Amino acid sequence: MRTGTIVKTSHLNYSFRNGVKTLDNVNLEVPAGSIYGFLGPNGAGKTTTLRLLLGLLKNQEGQLEVFGQPFGSHRIEILKRLGSLIEQPSLYLHLTARENLEIYRLVYNVSKARIDEVLKLVGLESTGKKRAKQFSLGMRQRLSIAIALLHQPELLILDEPTNGLDPNGIIEMRELIRKLNSEHGTTVIVSSHILIEIEKMATHVGIIHKGRMLFQGPLQELQQMKTRQSLLEIETSDNRRALEILSRQYNAQQTESLIMLPYEGKQETAVINQLLVREGIDVYALHPKQSDLEQLFIEITSDNI
Amino acid sequence: MSLVIATRAEIIKNRRGAAFWMCLIGSAFIPFIYFLIYNLKPERNYDRMAANAWRVHFQEGWQGFSIILLPMFVILTCSLIVQVEYKNNTWKQVFASPLSTGNIFFSKYTGILAMVIFLLIMFNVFLLLAGVLTDVFHPKFSFLETEVGWGNLIRRTVKSFISLLAIVSIQYWLSLRFRNFIVPIAIGLAMLVASMTLMSWEHIDKVPYAFAFLSYAKTSTVSGRFLENHEIYSLLCFVLFTVLGFLDLRFRKERG
Repeated sequence: MRTGTIVKTSHLNYSFRNGVKTLDNVNLEVPAGSIYGFLGPNGAGKTTTLRLLLGLLKNQEGQLEVFGQPFGSHRIEILKRLGSLIEQPSLYLHLTARENLEIYRLVYNVSKARIDEVLKLVGLESTGKKRAKQFSLGMRQRLSIAIALLHQPELLILDEPTNGLDPNGIIEMRELIRKLNSEHGTTVIVSSHILIEIEKMATHVGIIHKGRMLFQGPLQELQQMKTRQSLLEIETSDNRRALEILSRQYNAQQTESLIMLPYEGKQETAVINQLLVREGIDVYALHPKQSDLEQLFIEITSDNI
Repeated sequence: MSLVIATRAEIIKNRRGAAFWMCLIGSAFIPFIYFLIYNLKPERNYDRMAANAWRVHFQEGWQGFSIILLPMFVILTCSLIVQVEYKNNTWKQVFASPLSTGNIFFSKYTGILAMVIFLLIMFNVFLLLAGVLTDVFHPKFSFLETEVGWGNLIRRTVKSFISLLAIVSIQYWLSLRFRNFIVPIAIGLAMLVASMTLMSWEHIDKVPYAFAFLSYAKTSTVSGRFLENHEIYSLLCFVLFTVLGFLDLRFRKERG
């Protein structure tokens, strides 16, 4: 398996014709062997970044390296080693699954046996003479994945692969991505605007919002950040005085009926309780509020608007 | 080598595609009309075809085909073949595959030219079939006893193909340029109608959309040289618009 960084972008900037900056200094680093969840709300710049990685958009500013080689001067060599699915499936609907694969089999120069292998892998081996236009969206998506996998790429780029799939389809897609990563060592970049999706399969996460990278690192690091951002909610008989007392030692804030301060553990909660009781304030509730990843995602994105 | 592979992939894409069916059915249209004319009222046609049935048959068949149907089918073929990628949203997969822009551009171009050749060949096949079948029902036409005149038929076909190269190159470029397939078709048909109305203009041999008809007309009045002026212009036009079309695709900022 390859080690190190498989995709690296440095100071990537991109503006569309309307002059709006779609990407602002994007520095992406995808470790080899990872499942890199590329997360961001719709319109954040995910597809633009991925299209730049595939050469579908002309790079305007910044460096783009894939497999350690600059993309501009090694386009064809790089594209031979990666597979992609950008947005909705790209299929010739008047052709069968096998004919669709035959087109790319010729282009990637792989053996005919691979067609049967990938059809089996995505569960489309018995579609026979059925044309792609008669396929369900899930089947089309799986056929697109089969095309992307035909040449056994080292890197797979999937842009919102679960869009439009039913819950079963989403689970199957996730399992397929995990299997490719664990059994074949394929590095996968998978974009999504749904955090829970990424959380369930990614080893590394990159969060993009309004064209800027807000976070990048292993999933655990994101989860540690979540702990750091947890809050302690306090309800007392006199919130105004309690705030005054707590503000001497803590970064406390008052909401409508609660006082909030950063949660630092059980012991610290007990210390806060004793402090308030000593000052003659009745403590009605002390509640550590664990902000889940979803909450964190909203926090990360909203803080930086 | 990559171009050959990319062209084979193009042939698979066009298998059972709209362009294929249009060329197959379109090429049979005029021969079928003549088959009906000969068979429904044979006595009206015996005399005028008595001298050389094939020569008259080819002359009239090609006239009906060249003036509007042939260039129209070529305009539609260019759009339909390119539209396969737009309609199926497959340009992005094509551009993300390890093919050079040259291979992508020229493999599709080869696919279009192959389809035009298929259209011309099938037209001749159906013309021949219409004559032979007519003879089965009405032997008095004596198609089977007359020399087909292969030389003239091949010459007519080759000159027609050369005259169509200008339209192919312009329409291919337009079809690549505009995602909406109505635009290149509308431009092409408008140019075709305009060229028909300009047929008596002294510079008509410089209007690409009139070249197919000019080749028909001038093959009938055999001159000494193989290539007429408009056919030379067609070749020049083909080179010019091929280069322009390729450069346009090569330097496009957004692909797929």
